[in-house]
Amino acid sequence: MAGLELLTDQGYRLDGRKATELRKVQARMGVFAQADGSAYLEQGNTKALAVVYGPHEMRGSRSRALHNRAVINCQYSMATFSTAERKRRPHGDRKSTEMSLHLKQTFEAAVMTQLFPRSQIDIYVKILQSDGGNYSVCVNAATLAVIDAGIPMRDYVCACTVGFVDETPLADLCYAEESGGVSSLALALLPRGGQIALVQMDARLHQDHLETLIEAAMTACKGVSKVLDEVVRQHLQEASVLSRE
Amino acid sequence: MIKTEKVLHLKSSRGRKVRVVREHYLRERVPCFSSLCQADCEKDGKVLPGDLTHYVVPDAEVVVNYLEVLEFPELQGVVITQTACQAVHSKGRRFYNRLRNLLKDPRHDCVLFANEFQEYSYCPREKGESQEKWQTRCVYAAAVWYYNHLAGLMNVVMITEDEEAVSRFSSLNSGVFVIRVQDYLQDFWPELKAAHELYSAITQVLQEKEGEDSQREFSEHLPAEVLEAGIKSGRFIQGTLNVSKHRPQNEAFITNQGLSTKNPDLSSGVLVFGSKSRNRAVHGDMVVVELLPKSEWRGKVTALTERQVDEKSGDESETKAMPTGRVVGILQRNWRDYVVTFPPRDGTQSQSRNSQRILVIPWDRRIPKIRISTQQADALQDHRLVVRIDSWPSTSLYPNGHSVWVLGRAGELETEVQTILMENCIHVPPFSEAQLREMPVNSPENPWTVDPAEAAERRDLRETHLVFSIDPRGCEDVDDTLSVRSLAGGKLLELGVHIADVTHFVSEGSLTDLEARSRATTYYLADRRHDMLPAVLSADLCSLLGGVDRYAMSILWELDAQSLAVTKVWFGRTLIRSSYQLHYELAQALLNGMEAEVLELARLDPEEQDTKLTELTEALQKLTHIARHLRAQRDRGGALELEGVEVRAQLDEEKNITALVPRQPLEVHETVAECMIYANHWVARKIQEVFPYQALLRRHPPPRQELFSQLVDTAQARGFAMNTRTNKALADSLDRAMDPQDPLVNRLLRMMATQAMSQAVYFSTGAQPEDQFYHYGLALDRYTHFTSPIRRYADMVVHRLLTAALQVEQGAEPAKTPAGNKDVEELAEHINNKNRAAQRAQNLSIGLFQCLFFKERDPEIDPRCVADGIIYAIRDNGVLVFIPEYGVKGPVYMRNKEGRVVSAGPDGTCEWQTGSVRRYTDHIITTSGSGSATFRLFDHITVRISVLSTNCHADTLNLEVISNKPHRSAAPQLPSSQGRSQLVQEVVRLAEEAQEKAVQRPKLPREEREFQQSKAPNLYSILEEIRELALMDLETASRVCATTA
Repeated sequence: MAGLELLTDQGYRLDGRKATELRKVQARMGVFAQADGSAYLEQGNTKALAVVYGPHEMRGSRSRALHNRAVINCQYSMATFSTAERKRRPHGDRKSTEMSLHLKQTFEAAVMTQLFPRSQIDIYVKILQSDGGNYSVCVNAATLAVIDAGIPMRDYVCACTVGFVDETPLADLCYAEESGGVSSLALALLPRGGQIALVQMDARLHQDHLETLIEAAMTACKGVSKVLDEVVRQHLQEASVLSRE
Repeated sequence: MIKTEKVLHLKSSRGRKVRVVREHYLRERVPCFSSLCQADCEKDGKVLPGDLTHYVVPDAEVVVNYLEVLEFPELQGVVITQTACQAVHSKGRRFYNRLRNLLKDPRHDCVLFANEFQEYSYCPREKGESQEKWQTRCVYAAAVWYYNHLAGLMNVVMITEDEEAVSRFSSLNSGVFVIRVQDYLQDFWPELKAAHELYSAITQVLQEKEGEDSQREFSEHLPAEVLEAGIKSGRFIQGTLNVSKHRPQNEAFITNQGLSTKNPDLSSGVLVFGSKSRNRAVHGDMVVVELLPKSEWRGKVTALTERQVDEKSGDESETKAMPTGRVVGILQRNWRDYVVTFPPRDGTQSQSRNSQRILVIPWDRRIPKIRISTQQADALQDHRLVVRIDSWPSTSLYPNGHSVWVLGRAGELETEVQTILMENCIHVPPFSEAQLREMPVNSPENPWTVDPAEAAERRDLRETHLVFSIDPRGCEDVDDTLSVRSLAGGKLLELGVHIADVTHFVSEGSLTDLEARSRATTYYLADRRHDMLPAVLSADLCSLLGGVDRYAMSILWELDAQSLAVTKVWFGRTLIRSSYQLHYELAQALLNGMEAEVLELARLDPEEQDTKLTELTEALQKLTHIARHLRAQRDRGGALELEGVEVRAQLDEEKNITALVPRQPLEVHETVAECMIYANHWVARKIQEVFPYQALLRRHPPPRQELFSQLVDTAQARGFAMNTRTNKALADSLDRAMDPQDPLVNRLLRMMATQAMSQAVYFSTGAQPEDQFYHYGLALDRYTHFTSPIRRYADMVVHRLLTAALQVEQGAEPAKTPAGNKDVEELAEHINNKNRAAQRAQNLSIGLFQCLFFKERDPEIDPRCVADGIIYAIRDNGVLVFIPEYGVKGPVYMRNKEGRVVSAGPDGTCEWQTGSVRRYTDHIITTSGSGSATFRLFDHITVRISVLSTNCHADTLNLEVISNKPHRSAAPQLPSSQGRSQLVQEVVRLAEEAQEKAVQRPKLPREEREFQQSKAPNLYSILEEIRELALMDLETASRVCATTA
C-alpha cells in the first residue's frame, strides 16, 4: 500500500542517484549516411534517434516560406515498442503534436534561421525507448543531429527535467519518478549565455519554489551541455582522422 | 560533474505482469557510519561507536518480524540494510515509519546502510531465486562488506531466521558470523529478559499464523486496487472508524472531513452496525465502507445504556435512519499499544488455558478482546499488561496479539495511573544521566553565574528597567515577567514582557531537547506532575526568580501615552533581574491602595520603602491601564470569555494546604493574561513575516454551526436566544443569558458553548491558507505560544524561530536554518497530539481519583455521597446531570433495567415503581401508580453518588436520583472545584496509608518503577496542577473546567 519513497532520508533516489546527479548520457553522431545530420542519444534508459534534413527548398506549399528566415519543421514520434506495453501510436495524436510544437519552438530559438531565408529545415525525432524525460532527450539528440548537419546554431540547446520532492529539486527524472506524482518542470537552455529557450510545466507548484527549481534545471542543463560538447569533439576527432586517411 | 556511478545494472521486476526495466546506479562510496571507518566516509548524523564487541546485521526477515526486539536500546551497533528497509516498506507505511523513527532516534544505536547502491555489496537477483533467498544473500554481502570495509577491526554478526543461510554462509568468512536470532540473544544478551520474552511471544504468534485453519468468521477484505478504484468511482467511502463509547459492541461511525461537502446525506457520518459488518476493523483504523441499500439503514440509539448490560432488547427508540454501511477493506491499521486486563480464573476459559491462549479484555471499551499466548497465565491473574495486536485473520473472532510488559495488579493506584499514561501514549521515564550531564550546574558550592561574553551580547535591563513577576502564590517556575516605564517625559510608555530564555540552555538537537520534544509538554495529573525539562532548568536557572540575574527573551513596545498606539517594537535577548516576585492578591491589594506587605521591601527603612512602593504601584497602575485598553480592543473584535473557575490553595509555612478558596476573579489576572496574549500575538506576527512558510502558529478554527444546536435548544428552554453566527454575537448572547436566581445556568451554557468549539491547534504557516490563521476564541488574526517555554515545547520552537528571525533581520545568516514547512507541520501535529493526550490523561486521572474517593464511602449512609445536581440535557430514558459540588457530569436514569420508573412522592423523595416515561424537548415525565413527576431542564435534583466497579475497565460513577427537590444543604455559591481538590488530597492520603501498610507487598515490576517519577505523590504537585489551571489559555482552561468543574 505504501507509495514509493522518491528520496530517502539519506538522500538517495529510487535508482541510487543523489538529488543533483544526472543519468548516464551516451551519444553518437552521424549514425545515418543518407540524412544530412543524425544522432543517437541515450540518457539512462530513454533512447532517442534524431535526424535532420536541410536546409533545403520549401517542400509542399511554398506559401509557408518566410522571406527573412528558414522554417523549422519538427516531427516527434514514439516507437511502438518504446514503453512497457506495446501500443500502436498513430501520427498526429495530441501528445506528439504538442511535443513537435515544443521542439519547433526550442530550435527556432537556437538555430540561426535568418541565414537561410525561404528554406526549410526538417528535424525528425523518434523515441526508441521511453523512461522519462522524453522532451529533454529529444532536444539533446536533435541538437547533436543539427550540429552533425552543419547548421549554424547560437549554442547547444540542452534540456533537462527537474522535479520537486520534499523541498529538494531532483535533476533528470526517470519514469518511475515522473509517474510518482512529482511536479516536474522541463527546461531548455542555451548554456553559454544562460538564455532559456523553453520552460514547460503542467503541475502545481508554489511560486516561491519556482526559482530554486529553475536554478537546479539550469545547473543540470549545463551538465548535459558538457557531455554533449565532449561527444561533438570526439566525433570531430574521429571524422578528421578518417578524412586524413 | 560529480558522476561517480559506474556500471548500469538493469533490474527487472514483475509487477502487474509488465516487465519494467529500471536503472540502478552503483557507487563506490557509500557512507558506513562507523567511527572505525578507515576510508573516511562522511560522518554526519548518527555514527556507530567503535568500542563494541561486534556489529549486528539483521536479515530482512528479522527486521520485518522482530523489529520490536531490535528496538531495545540495549542492543548496540545495529546495521539495518537497505534491503531490509525495503522489505519493511513493502509491509506497510506504519511499520516503515516506525523503522524510520528508530533510525532517526539518536538514543538508539543503529544506522542504515544503503547496501544496494554500494558497488561491491550489491548482488543482482538471479533467475529463479526467491525473494527471501535474495534478500538474505544481499544482507550477507553487506555484512561481509562491512567487515572488509572496517579492515577487520570489528566482528560482524548477521542474525537470521533462515536455517539454510546459517549453514550456507557461516563458514565462508572469518569475522562474519551468521547465527539465529535466538542464539544471538542467548549468547550476547542473556540478561536481557524482556527481549527474550518479547522474542518468544512474537515467534509464537508467527507460528500460530501458519497453523491457522477452520471456517471463516468474517468476509475477506477486498484487495487494495479494488478499494482504490471503488473510492475513486464513489462506490466506496473512505474514513476513520470511530467506535461508539457507549455501545462499543454494535455501533461505530465513519467520519471523514471531506464527506459532508461531497454528499450532504453523509454529513453526520456513516453508521457501521454490528461486529460482522465492522469486519475486523479496530477503533481508529482507516477503513473503506460500502453503503448498504436504504432499506437496511438504521438510526443510532439515543437512550442511555447502562454499562453492566451487554445487550438490550430491541425496543429502544432510535433516531431517524442514517446511512449505514459495512467495512469492505482496511487501508491503514492504526494499532497502538493497548492496556488489557487478564481475566480472573474461571471455568469458561479452561479449555483455552490448556493451549496457553487467553482472551484478555482491553481497558478501552472500544477495542475488542484480544487473544494472546502466554506461559504465565496463572501468575498474571487480575494484572494489567500492555499488549500489541499482530493480526486479525478472517477465521478468528478476535485479533491475535502478544504481551509486551506487565503494569501491575488491577485496582492499585500506581497501576491505574500507569494505565492512564499508557493508554494515552505518554512515556515519561526519568531523565537519563546523559541528559542531566548537559545541564548547567547550580549548587551552593558551584553557583551558576552570568557569562560575561554572553552578557555583552545581550541588552542589559538590570539597571534601567523595573522588572517584576506576578504569579500565583508559591510558584517555582516563573516563565514570564513584566516591566513598564515612561519615556520621553511621559509622552511614551514602554511596556515590556520578558520570557525565560530556555533555548539558551537547551540547544537544538541536544538530548534534553529531544526528550522535551518527545514529551512536548509538562503533564499534570491529579496527583503528580511529569516535567518537560529537568528540574535544574524548570525551577532554577530558567525560572525568572526575584533578585537574581537571569537570561530572558524580551519584547518591548513603545506606546503613545495618550492613544496607546504602538510606535515601536523591539525584540531581543536580554539580561534581567526581577525586583519583585509578586503574587496576584498582593498585586491587586497594591492596586486598590490597600496596605500590603511586600517581601522585598521589608528590610529597607520606612522612607525608602515608601518611595519604592509608590514606584511599584504606579507601574502596576500603568499596566492595568494598558491591559484594559488591549482587552477592549479584542472585545470589539469578538473575543470570547468562556467558563473557567479556578481555586487557589492557601499554604502555611510547611507547604500544607490550610484552606482552598475559590480564586477571586481579580483584575490583575486579566492584566497579566492580556499582556501575555499581546506578546504572543506580536511574536506570531514577527515570525510569520520573516518565515512566511515555516512559522509555528496557533489557530482556533471557528466551530461548525450545527454543533451549537444543543446550546441553542437548551438556552431556549430557559427563554434565552443564542446567536452563534460570529464569535462576537456568541459572546454577547452568552453575556445576556444570565439568570439572576441561578448563576449555574450561565455557567452551564458557557460550558456547552465550549464543548461545541473545536480545539485550538498548532500549525505551520506553509500548510494553511492565510485566512485560516484566525484565532476564534481570542479574536486575533495571528497567534502563537511564546510565553511558557518551561512547560511547552511549542514555545521553545517559537523562541528559536524568533531568534533566527532576528538574525535574518540583522542580515546575518541564522546559525541554523529553521526547519522547513513539512518538518514544522509534522512537529505541530506531534505537539497537538501530545497536548490532547495530556489533557485526556489529566481528565482521566481526575476521574480516577473521583472514583477512588467515592469507593471508600458507603453511599447509603455517608452524607458526602448525596449532592445537588442540575439537569442540563434530556434523553429518552433519563437525564444528564451536572453536580457542581464535585464537578461531576453523568447520566441519571428515569427507567431502570427492569422497566421501572422513578416516581416522586409528595415530599419529593423518589422511588422505583412500574410505569412509563415520556420525553419532550425540554422536560421528561414519568408516570406511575402514584402519579407523575416532571423533570425540566435546569431543575435542581438530589442525587446519590456511588461507584460502579469493573475489573477490566476504569471505574465509573453511578448517579441515582433520590429527590426531585434541590439538595437541602446545597449552597449554590459553594466553590465548584473545592470538592475535587479535597478529594484528590483524600485519595492520596489513603493511598499513602495503604502503601505503609503493605510493606510485605512484593517489589514493583521493573517497568513500573521506571515509569513513575515521584513515588510518593506530594502536595506540591497538587498545587502545581491547580496553578496550571489558573495560567492556561482561556480556551484550554475553560475546556478543562468544562469537563472537570
